[in-house]
Amino acid sequence: MLYALGKSLGSEEGFGEVKACLTSVLAKLVIWGLLSALLYHLVAGIRHLIMDMGIGETLEGGKLGSKIVLAVSAVLIVLAGVWIW
Amino acid sequence: MVTNVTNLSRSGLYDWMAQRVSAVVLAAYFIFLIGYLIANPGLGYAQWHALFANNAMRIFSLLAFVALGAHAWVGMWTIATDYLTPMALGKSATAVRFLFQAVCGIAMFAYFVWGVQILWGI
Repeated sequence: MLYALGKSLGSEEGFGEVKACLTSVLAKLVIWGLLSALLYHLVAGIRHLIMDMGIGETLEGGKLGSKIVLAVSAVLIVLAGVWIW
Repeated sequence: MVTNVTNLSRSGLYDWMAQRVSAVVLAAYFIFLIGYLIANPGLGYAQWHALFANNAMRIFSLLAFVALGAHAWVGMWTIATDYLTPMALGKSATAVRFLFQAVCGIAMFAYFVWGVQILWGI
């Protein structure tokens, strides 16, 4: 990711190269995979912060929270896929 | 404790706080970046370059790099001290854990320096 950032910022040709590379199906799959992991980590992390505030700390709350995390992440990951393609 | 000496601050509470503060910084940074890319579908080089040449964005990016290093360190330290234990690995656990943590630390430092080079090289 840093390599792509450096190349895309380094020169106009580099930016074009990164842009062209990201049009391939394989690159899109990799980006989708990375974005999926990031989104799930983000949603689960936000749940942790909410639980740190004392919300949803019971057994039932924990179970419900984990289901909400999975559902929200799934929706975001599908949306990310739509955005990439 | 042997496992305590390698944590970020010698204090679990401080690490707990560092993990959460860095998490909020990283969440803000990535939500901003993804939002920016969604809002600008036909992004060109000039606009992309101008975004990162902006001093506010440099400060935000540098803050995100520091947060990424700290967040990743707390996370990998936790994994290393949870799983690379004498119970799992026997006598070589301390050596394996130290090597693993050393590789993580070098990686995070290298990513940080690389990130700074990119930000100030443009």
